[in-house]
Amino acid sequence: MKTNRIIIFLFLMLLILLPLDFFLIFKVAPTERVMGDVQRIFYLHISLAVSAFVALTSVFISSILFLWKKDLKWDTAASVSAEIGVLFATLVLVSGSMWARPIWNVWWTWDPRLLTVLILWFIYIGYFLLRGGIADRFRKAQYSAVIGIIGYVDIPVVRYATKWWKSIHPLLTKEGGGLDPVMKKVMFFSMATFLVLTVFLFLFRFRLARMEERLLILKKRMED
Amino acid sequence: MKFIHDAVSILRKDILLEIRGKESLSLMLFLSLLFLVIFNFALDIDKENVSLLASGILWVIFSFTGILGMGRTSMSERDEEAYLSVVFSPVSPESFYAGKVLSNLLFLLLMEAFTLIFFAILFDFEKIITLLPQLLPVLLLGTLGFALVGTLFSFLATASRYGEVLLPFLYLPVVVPVILGGVSSMDIILNGKPGGPGRWLQIMVVFDMLYLSLSLLLFRYIIED
Repeated sequence: MKTNRIIIFLFLMLLILLPLDFFLIFKVAPTERVMGDVQRIFYLHISLAVSAFVALTSVFISSILFLWKKDLKWDTAASVSAEIGVLFATLVLVSGSMWARPIWNVWWTWDPRLLTVLILWFIYIGYFLLRGGIADRFRKAQYSAVIGIIGYVDIPVVRYATKWWKSIHPLLTKEGGGLDPVMKKVMFFSMATFLVLTVFLFLFRFRLARMEERLLILKKRMED
Repeated sequence: MKFIHDAVSILRKDILLEIRGKESLSLMLFLSLLFLVIFNFALDIDKENVSLLASGILWVIFSFTGILGMGRTSMSERDEEAYLSVVFSPVSPESFYAGKVLSNLLFLLLMEAFTLIFFAILFDFEKIITLLPQLLPVLLLGTLGFALVGTLFSFLATASRYGEVLLPFLYLPVVVPVILGGVSSMDIILNGKPGGPGRWLQIMVVFDMLYLSLSLLLFRYIIED
């Protein structure tokens, strides 16, 4: 019941936060001098990237906890986080591509950061393919936890390996000194909004998945 | 000592199986030869461009042919649940894993040697054989990375109802650093590019050590359920 209340609270919060975030992005944040309005995608792009990273970290931690505790609820937590992570990573790629077309004049380029996100995306698609292919509930949990751990650890290695190709991706930290204070505030607000959205999606989906599992058990009992 | 002894026993078992059944290695050799023929049509390889294309072609062949071979060797363990007899024997999962890695490593290296020889013959590119001493560390480190990840993932993939078909989806994204390192360092060596292959070799060493320790930790969960 307690989770229910938190979910409703977060939902109500998002009803205010999301429209406000878009208002800030499109009306309050100043227009960037060189890139123009297209730069506004950054607020979404970076927030989505941060949220995707948080979700995938949650996959990693839940996977370790599952192998340690052998409690299926950790597996549910891992798979739900992976769903959110894949969804957000997809949106990161799409939003980045939409920004790149007018600015870099291409939809896609083989930049290390882009490549790292794409590889990460492939790894977690593989995670779901594996889950879909194993019927036994416990085995599915055990095996996907292995992928959840290995895939996550691979990311820094991929990042490091691809970095030696010259990167053209803009680095915020280097330009951080010159970032407009209003832009910075909008950016943080947007990030916070998307983190709330991530937590909300997680709790909502987690509860749904647990209900589905309970329903399956009940159905099985009725058949027996 | 027991660990090494057990691992070598597993290796010996796989070699024996291969000599009797000729299943995985012969398939890999045929596939790699087939790949060379296809690449010849696809890229129109001649004396001018062979040196530039060689590393890319070879690592594509190594990775895809390796998937086939490693899928086979773990399928042979899944067939009639043969691996269960290993699980119930005093052999630890870790030494079982180490043995399978060794046998996969051996078969992959044999396939690579075969591919290199035929590459040299078919495309008149002897340089690749004369530079072998320099290429050896690249091949060893890269192939070890393939074998470490491939052995672990082929056991995962063959447990699903998709079987070996699933292996490339799990395996290829994870071994990207190895493929990148292998292609780049081989390219540097073959074409005498500046800088040397040093830092690519470093990345492969890091990758191998990381996956050796991770796999030894995690393999237990794949065969004990």
